[in-house]
Amino acid sequence: MNFDVLKNTLVAALSEIGITEYEIYYMSDESTSVDTLNKEVNSFSSSSSGGLCLRVAVDGKMGYASTELMTETEMKELPLRAKANAYATEKPDTVGIFAGSPSYEELKMPKIELLSAAELKAYAIKTGEALFAKDPAVKEGTSSSAVSAGTTVRLFNSHGVDLSLECGANLLVGEAVVCVDGENQVDYSFKSLEGDQTVTEVVDEAVSEALAKIGAGSVPSGKYNVVFSGDKMRSLLSVFSNAFSAKAVIDGMSRLKGLEGEKIASDIVTITDDPQREGNAVGTNFDAEGVATHRKSVVDAGVLKTFLHNRETALAMGKETTANASKAGYSSPIGVRPYSFAIEPGDKTQDELFALAGDGIFITEINGLHAGANPVSGDFSLQSAGFMIRGGKKCEVVKSFTIAGNFFDLLKNIAALGNKLERGVTTGFTGFCSPDVFVPDMSIAGK
Amino acid sequence: MLEKRLYEQILGIALSGGADFAEVYCEYTRNGRIALMNERIESITDEVVSGVGIRAFRGTSTVYGSTSDTTPSGLVKCAKAVAEAMGEIGEGQNVVLTERVFPNIHPVRIVPSTADMGYKSDLLKLACSSAKAYDKRIVQAAGNLITVDHTIEIANTEGLLTTDRHIRTRMAVSAIAADGSETQSGSCSPGRGMGLELFEMFKPEDIGTEAARQAIVNLGAVYCSAGQMPVAIESGFGGVIFHEACGHSLEATSVGTGCSQMCGKLGQKIANEKVTAIDDGTIPGAWGSVNIDDEGHPTQRNVLIENGVLKSYMIDRLGSRRMGMPMTGNGRRESYAYEPTSRMTNTFIDNGPDKNEDIIASIEYGLYAKSMGGGSVNPLTGDFNFAVNEGYIVRNGKICEAVRGASLIGNGSQIIQDIDMVGQNLATGQGMCGSSSGSVPTDVGQPLIRVSKITVGGR
Repeated sequence: MNFDVLKNTLVAALSEIGITEYEIYYMSDESTSVDTLNKEVNSFSSSSSGGLCLRVAVDGKMGYASTELMTETEMKELPLRAKANAYATEKPDTVGIFAGSPSYEELKMPKIELLSAAELKAYAIKTGEALFAKDPAVKEGTSSSAVSAGTTVRLFNSHGVDLSLECGANLLVGEAVVCVDGENQVDYSFKSLEGDQTVTEVVDEAVSEALAKIGAGSVPSGKYNVVFSGDKMRSLLSVFSNAFSAKAVIDGMSRLKGLEGEKIASDIVTITDDPQREGNAVGTNFDAEGVATHRKSVVDAGVLKTFLHNRETALAMGKETTANASKAGYSSPIGVRPYSFAIEPGDKTQDELFALAGDGIFITEINGLHAGANPVSGDFSLQSAGFMIRGGKKCEVVKSFTIAGNFFDLLKNIAALGNKLERGVTTGFTGFCSPDVFVPDMSIAGK
Repeated sequence: MLEKRLYEQILGIALSGGADFAEVYCEYTRNGRIALMNERIESITDEVVSGVGIRAFRGTSTVYGSTSDTTPSGLVKCAKAVAEAMGEIGEGQNVVLTERVFPNIHPVRIVPSTADMGYKSDLLKLACSSAKAYDKRIVQAAGNLITVDHTIEIANTEGLLTTDRHIRTRMAVSAIAADGSETQSGSCSPGRGMGLELFEMFKPEDIGTEAARQAIVNLGAVYCSAGQMPVAIESGFGGVIFHEACGHSLEATSVGTGCSQMCGKLGQKIANEKVTAIDDGTIPGAWGSVNIDDEGHPTQRNVLIENGVLKSYMIDRLGSRRMGMPMTGNGRRESYAYEPTSRMTNTFIDNGPDKNEDIIASIEYGLYAKSMGGGSVNPLTGDFNFAVNEGYIVRNGKICEAVRGASLIGNGSQIIQDIDMVGQNLATGQGMCGSSSGSVPTDVGQPLIRVSKITVGGR
């Protein structure tokens, strides 16, 4: 059944049990991927899935029910489940279903044509072969993957709001396993697939970064000046971003509670959320409640300007929604998340950051973020790797140490920012960006 | 969920591209979640996951297709796409299935999806109110009651047609403690492969109290100092050290492609002789147990390491082809959307010869890691990391002040040789393990152990 048939069946079933305020949120995903192992195609996969979440306002509360089973029987069942869940919920619903924004920005993201299975196969093989050709140290276990993925969202509600969004991306992954003098190392590169030049970039990056890890020693424990690569700072920002959610503030789970209008970061730090950030492959012009999205500064020159809001948190705190209602998956309840959250770049080249650090460490790898970082307290202690910085220059490779600190202290201690924004691949509709960042005097535990 | 004849038809189509094996995995899952925040039920979500995954092999090449369209035409379309990706379409093959019933070793007394919503909500409220009542500095107690009712059918071209139903229940409570500008958290989240009878084993009030106790301990803790030192790791979720440091490197996913530091080491002594490690998917009602794996193979008890000697890997169907070794009942996946691969079930270090009190008494200066967080590993190099959620300094054989913000890092092949004392209070902890076939429930476990030296990250 297509969306419109499902919708009509559902609307009739809702009407039958007297539910007048509802939202139907439908998400479908299509993806294809071709993988090589040791230059040979070893795996092909394609998936097609669609799920529908019904949200109803009943008895002054919100009820949810979701399904991937798109049958007429299920569509008749879903309103009953959502209604029962609303009755059993205790939190009052203060905002109801959204009546619609006056207007919505045009979607700025260029529509990406998804590559065919044959094209993906050709890219995967080309990448696999190029990885082996790049260096004699590349060995068994080296793999590549070419992926195309597209998502469609439909949001329809009882106020007549009817929105849709289609987005997609083609991606290329190369993972190089190298062996030098009996030492194995592995690294990968993951980029938007935009033709043959992406193959070259992915292969160069995966092989050179795997080779660069060979021969790494540890570092003595102590305090070091640290330059975080944009990619790793981006990861740290993602772990602690929930502190900027008004829901976390209301629930007592944010260290930033009560600090709106206060200085929470160094003067040079500006953090924005831009759901249609220029240069991103994925973006949206409406949030998970159907509110028109827009760019906002969350931190401006170190001062916390606003938390991120959905309609409910905005009402609770006497603010306007920032259109950051979000769902972790199609079936999740409405929460709050950034869309494209970024520490805005500064004016320093990477070499200038190394020069400022003088003697220190350039962090290019951080592991175990899901465990070694406490999103509530801000404390982190993370296994890391990177390169020594000596006399302002990037020098030998180092690993097997941890970097520890508190994210909220780190924000205050940022001393310089790189001039190039690193953006990761967006998961769902949420992505994080950052330039390289120089932070003096961080705790390192090594040998 | 599907008719036998339809399975036979789909398998025949899936083989038609020149495959030598095909499999259909059909799933119907009810996921339920009740969330409590600010002392009231904040949201209730329930979700039906329904779809089919079709897989074909030719040698060690695989093609996988999945779809949530479970109509006969949707399935035929998916099977044709699989066959086309494998090669030139030839004749449809004749497949005959014979149904097989495996014994259910995980009986469930109270099926969560049929239990009264008010009763389930009350269990969660009891846990969270106990957390709040523990100490006035507990400012928030958030809880989730998570239930999964998962029915699968598996058919393959070896003639197998079988089904299984797996129910699991978990309560996760996290407590936030605040004092001035300081905020810390604690958590407790037991789960089992059982229904609501779980709460006869774990009282909700004890779950809440444990989360609150940990948050309060951390509030009063000082930052852990960094360096190399001996570490005593407590039983239960402490077993995550073996899971990360060694378990992943014993999965066929990495061994079968030559990407594991454990390749070619069967029969060799790889660990201290006090270490015996087991993966056992047959433990009744355990979090990581299932009757059959997601390839239709019954789970079994696999002794991975015996007195320090490597005895076995964990092998799925594709791994079995790659490695030329039998399957071990470890082929697992999060859902129909994932191609299965070798995964752990309930993996633990068995009881050893040392008395627990002797382990603490043996440490002049080191760390006692009472509660562990999660971690991760690079199976190729064996470099791993994991977080300490609740830790204490040990001085002159006595447990002293609480420390926070500690993490442990090291290398798997080294650390299992450095486990030089193994205690006798084996217990398990529950985790969700993420890998290429998605997120699956796994138990980790061990008695109290001592690692003679490990890098502790802190300040």
